[in-house]
Amino acid sequence: MSLAVPRARRAACSVAAVWLAWSATQHAQLEPPPAMLVSETAPPGIDRGLRASDPPRAPRTDLSGEPFLRGSVIVRFRPGTSPNAQRAILAQVAGTAERPPSYANFDIVAIDEDVDPETAAARLDAQPDVEYAQARYRVYPRFVPNDPMYPRQWNYPAIDMERAWDINPGATPAITVAVLDTGVAFRSGMMRYHTRAFRLLPNGPVFPSLGAIDVPFAAAPDLTGAGRFVAPRDFIWETTTPFDLDGHGTHVAGTVGQLTNNGVGVAGMAFNVRIMPVKVIASMWDLIFRSPQQGTDDVVARGIRYAVDSGAKVLNLSIGRLGPPAPALRDAIAYAVSRGAFVAVAAGNDFETGNRVERLAEFAPQIQGMVAVGAVGRDRQRAFYSNTGAYVEIVAPGGNTRVGGTSGGILQQTFDFNLVETYLGDPAGFGPPRFDAFTFDYLQGTSMASPHVAGAAALLMQQGITAPAAIEAAMKRSATDLGPPGRDNEYGEGLINPRASLRGLGLTR
Amino acid sequence: MRTACIAAMCLLSSAVAQAQPTQIRVRGFADIGSTTFNAGESFAAVLGRDVGAVFGGGGDAVFPQRVFVSVRASRFRRTGERVFLFERERFGLGIPTTVTVTPLELTGGYRFDYGWRVVPYAGGGIGSHHYTETSQFAGGGEDVARPFLGYHLMVGYEIRIARWIGTAAEAQWATVPDALGADANSAAREFDESNLGGTTVRVKLIIGR
Repeated sequence: MSLAVPRARRAACSVAAVWLAWSATQHAQLEPPPAMLVSETAPPGIDRGLRASDPPRAPRTDLSGEPFLRGSVIVRFRPGTSPNAQRAILAQVAGTAERPPSYANFDIVAIDEDVDPETAAARLDAQPDVEYAQARYRVYPRFVPNDPMYPRQWNYPAIDMERAWDINPGATPAITVAVLDTGVAFRSGMMRYHTRAFRLLPNGPVFPSLGAIDVPFAAAPDLTGAGRFVAPRDFIWETTTPFDLDGHGTHVAGTVGQLTNNGVGVAGMAFNVRIMPVKVIASMWDLIFRSPQQGTDDVVARGIRYAVDSGAKVLNLSIGRLGPPAPALRDAIAYAVSRGAFVAVAAGNDFETGNRVERLAEFAPQIQGMVAVGAVGRDRQRAFYSNTGAYVEIVAPGGNTRVGGTSGGILQQTFDFNLVETYLGDPAGFGPPRFDAFTFDYLQGTSMASPHVAGAAALLMQQGITAPAAIEAAMKRSATDLGPPGRDNEYGEGLINPRASLRGLGLTR
Repeated sequence: MRTACIAAMCLLSSAVAQAQPTQIRVRGFADIGSTTFNAGESFAAVLGRDVGAVFGGGGDAVFPQRVFVSVRASRFRRTGERVFLFERERFGLGIPTTVTVTPLELTGGYRFDYGWRVVPYAGGGIGSHHYTETSQFAGGGEDVARPFLGYHLMVGYEIRIARWIGTAAEAQWATVPDALGADANSAAREFDESNLGGTTVRVKLIIGR
């Protein structure tokens, strides 16, 4: 459910997926052996840096109200100032010195709650016997990731994530988030595949068979750490090695839990969780390699049940389809929620092409613990592609390149598409792909929005809200209302506000 | 210093001992009690229970006409955690939050003092209930500190155990309307509880006649 840049590339892929059936009969070949892992190791991943260079955003600003406490100020008198002189000075602001605090060489002076502390402090500061006077400014823990490309990730400040991380810094490995997608670049290896000839378009040129090719894979450097991945499963190839042959799943997994504050690349929402890569979508290369399964309802439903039965507490489905309803998927998601898992689903990218009902998301309002996620851009307006409808429950940053250009997308690490999508050019330039070269790339789509919600759900679960229905309620209740007041079909309940969700309720505020 | 203190106390005792029952008697007291808050579900959700210890003290003046006026300050303070509430289920979020209620109350009443050793009394009055709520990770404007006006009724009885020392037991009912639940992000709103008052029982130690 992502709109990669350029969008035409995705459209071509969709057509090609259908056309492969035809090309198989037109270019009949000997049945190749199934894909096989020919090497457990491969050269380390290649970091090819930022794909599109854009100016970073400005540093974050304070989102709180008054930056100081009312009712008192800090005053440091010069040595030798007599108590009487001190009282006379404080009388100018109707202040009285409180009992000196421990470990302090200054006084806390009580003033009236209605008096502006900065004004009072300035008046005291002007006195010759006062060394300094200042308001009692609030100091906060400030978690700002040191990942060098973090300043380009507008999406986190847009939902106040820095203050959310102050409360819950990235959850813990006790929470497992399953990414049901095209796979994840979760390990290295060398796979041998057998290609076949195919056409991308009915009347397009024939891409020749490449024969048996060895394809290198590497783990995404900014996603992989010790014990990071758990229970990987591939329902497209029916293996336990869900290699990503597309890049979509790797990008999505990055937003869920990219390693953060590690001085490398970018940040993720719930950066300490464990990630369960579950491959349920066949990419273009999977089809070219003749995978035994494609991303059909039954495959996705099996993946959902597998993820839950294997311990996933949060499921992210940045996938979807149009067409008739999907009872098998509804049943699987209901099962997941009944087993205590929260499910985030992309609301769809079809707004400008008919705004047809996104079948995987449409039943979200009927399942408490499943949330259909729409997308907003950095202007906090609905992204041009994001579906609208009664099933849109909440929105999150999904990017909008029509606002702010390329950097209006969501930045994460994924493959260097120039080395993956070799079928997009002339057949003469067609060659084997490689999945061991990475870039940081901007993508947009409700696919990019959904993992923000999945990551927030992981934080909430870690914080103590363990019931999926309660997580959904917490998210909706604390969402920042956008569009018309109250729930609407564009933004649902509004933009997620993980910090407010994590903070919960006090007795009276 | 010690000798001086003893001498001062003796002088003070002597002066007060000469006071006649027809004069206004001024006394001091300290008390300890337990308050059950009207907003019981809200307090229980955030602080773990709807009952808490209250410590206080003050002074009163007893007039010859058996009327008394008292001023009392007290404090309730307890730390719990912020929560999320969903379908009456409570999810603790592990974020410490401290609630402090500091009532300053003015009470007037009547003592049924007919020379018995036990003196029943009853009264009522108004109070300023200063409420503060502070939480970890609170941003600007997210902590609460403000007073609310309340009213109370009380009954009790006093027992003289020595010439200058008495004890008393009291029960007080207080109402502090529209104090809680103004903010949507509150347990009080969730439970539709807005009254900060409660029912308090306490014992007092009274110094003076």
